[in-house]
Amino acid sequence: MAEHTVASFDEDLRQISRLINDMGDLAGSMVGAATRALLETDNALAQRVVSDDTIMDARQRELDDRAITLIAKRQPMADDLRHVVGSIRMAGDLERIGDLAKNIAKRVGSVGISAAPRDLTHSIDSMAQLVLIQVQAVVQEYTVGDASALAKLRNDDERIDVKYTSVFRELLTYMMEDPRNITACTHLLFCAKNLERIGDHVTNIAENAYYVLTGMQLPANRPKQDETAMSAPAA
Amino acid sequence: MKPMLSTDLNAADTTVEKAKIEVKGLNFYYGQSKALKDINLSLPERSVTAFIGPSGCGKSTLLRVLNRIYELYPKQTAEGQVLLDGKNILDRSQDLNLLRTKIGMVFQKPTPFPMSIYENIAFGVRLYEKISKAEMDNRVESALKRAALWNEVKDKLNASGQSLSGGQQQRLCIARTVAVKPEVILLDEPASALDPLSTAKIEELIDELQADYTIVIVTHNMQQAARVSRQTAFMYLGELVEFDRTEKIFTSPREKRTQDYITGRFG
Repeated sequence: MAEHTVASFDEDLRQISRLINDMGDLAGSMVGAATRALLETDNALAQRVVSDDTIMDARQRELDDRAITLIAKRQPMADDLRHVVGSIRMAGDLERIGDLAKNIAKRVGSVGISAAPRDLTHSIDSMAQLVLIQVQAVVQEYTVGDASALAKLRNDDERIDVKYTSVFRELLTYMMEDPRNITACTHLLFCAKNLERIGDHVTNIAENAYYVLTGMQLPANRPKQDETAMSAPAA
Repeated sequence: MKPMLSTDLNAADTTVEKAKIEVKGLNFYYGQSKALKDINLSLPERSVTAFIGPSGCGKSTLLRVLNRIYELYPKQTAEGQVLLDGKNILDRSQDLNLLRTKIGMVFQKPTPFPMSIYENIAFGVRLYEKISKAEMDNRVESALKRAALWNEVKDKLNASGQSLSGGQQQRLCIARTVAVKPEVILLDEPASALDPLSTAKIEELIDELQADYTIVIVTHNMQQAARVSRQTAFMYLGELVEFDRTEKIFTSPREKRTQDYITGRFG
């Protein structure tokens, strides 16, 4: 893309891109750390995730300030306008991913003291890996400008939903087998739900990023495979 | 390629509207130099169309073809067709005075006549119509009201038109144009010499006038084009590069040249 006649306009846009990148990196590391803290009952690591969330919030506020100022000063058009508005929205989703990672981290103590059996956490681990790959990929694909990868990534959320459904059923089984598992499993269920929500925010980011890059909206209906809402009353 | 209004999935409004003016295969020459190259576009009735593009792109030239005002100058020639309600106005048999009552024009700099506010409006009307004093009073009042100027000048209709502020003078020129009951109004940078408040008044006026008139505006101010128009034509080096709904042009234009221009990446 050619440079703007006014060079400081390019610099303003670059700073917004840089913040989105930073927030994407931070979101990835928070999700990774929160999951590890959960699986390894690492309270110190969990604490770091909680404090990282403060940094995430500050980044989002900075991005909002910069974006609003840029709109007021430059009145961006076309791809620039999509870039700025899209960044505001993506930052909102990244900030929410930070919150959800923090929520997972805050449960580490509770799950830990109720001595969750290792095999309870196994399927959470594989779900977390899926989510982490999505979080890391989404900002990366946006940065390199690969719209088709973003469309695919958005559809890949289906796999997380399927995984969530199976984790949900598995944890229910453990609870029915032995009521002493209920406390740990309930906490883990919340964590799984948080991971599933993180997947949804990744989907939002992918949709936004696709629009920023192409000027076109992805079709409204994407595959939805979270069946727990339907299966819950029967369980 | 003939630019057309987009009908893609992202289009909000794809209804086919009646064209007030259709430009077909238009070429324009200043002496030997070709200033417009095979322009094809269709301006919908009762709607605002903006022409944007860098200086020298041909947007004002195109506007000046629409009422043949270019013929005031020697060695300027137009080829092709400009259909007003299906009738070619470039035809030699076209009565120019009649054409200019149908297609009014307002220029960049306010051009009030050196006469009273009242006479500024009555003068043009008298050229085409014979009406009583009472009818003329009504016509002047309604034109000034239409141009949102009445309340500011109703107590000084005999004051000179040139005693008004720049913004008021421009609205007086719009009132003068409206008074002869045109069908199309051409605006050539109508607010570029005005302060923001006067500009806002002109834009509000354009918004109201489009209920009754087909309006074409040439502007360098892209935010203005985005605010006031329903469709926008981007021109470059005498060519019509892209013509589409305004919101499409300013959020996701199809042509790279349009994008580069409206985002300030040109040259």
